Amino acid sequence: MFLVGLIGSSLVYGLVTTLPQAIIEASPYALIVAGLLVGVGTRYGSGCTSGHGVVGLSRLSLRSLVATISFMASGFVVVYVTKHLI
Amino acid sequence: MKNVLALISGLVFGFGLILSGMANPAKVIGFLDIAGSWDPSLAFVMGGAIAIGFFAFKYAETRDTTLLGEELNLPRNNTVDKRLIGGSLVFGAGWGLGGFCPGPGLVSLGMGYSGGIIFALSMVVGMLAFELIQKNSG
Repeated sequence: MFLVGLIGSSLVYGLVTTLPQAIIEASPYALIVAGLLVGVGTRYGSGCTSGHGVVGLSRLSLRSLVATISFMASGFVVVYVTKHLI
Repeated sequence: MKNVLALISGLVFGFGLILSGMANPAKVIGFLDIAGSWDPSLAFVMGGAIAIGFFAFKYAETRDTTLLGEELNLPRNNTVDKRLIGGSLVFGAGWGLGGFCPGPGLVSLGMGYSGGIIFALSMVVGMLAFELIQKNSG
């Protein structure tokens, strides 16, 4: 039910006020690869931006701090490569 | 009651992601683009969420059950291992490539963006593939 709420949130949001536009610059192929990496990575590392970044850091978990630093670092590197090197 | 609260929690979480710009990949990429025109504003989203969450979890730590009387399972694992770091590095690479992390990916799916649908489906495939590999190797 949490997921239903999350997926449906934009519908309810749109009823009350104008939805801000989301701009997706990545190509469909890049999005497939991105989705696969995010799917595997969040399972293997047991968490994501919310799980480790928000919940874990709120609880001052060292484990989550290490995870957050790791995914931030690789996010920075990948954006650097895709925006400035390719 | 549990389902109703779960639905409301999902809605509120989604509203936060939409309102803050986390559900906009261009904004996320701007946050990760420290060498370009860096937009650090999303750090405040995370900081704000942590500031609230800190007190919420402090309160949760004092309880044995949830407010609905269910068993409260807070993670007790504190080991830092290759799995945690490797998985996080893989996740971060995907996050930087598409500009989506799991929550916003699902929000974008709900918004009906074709890119969001492609991302969310690929993410589910990735998760299922991981489960399969886990099962066969363990």
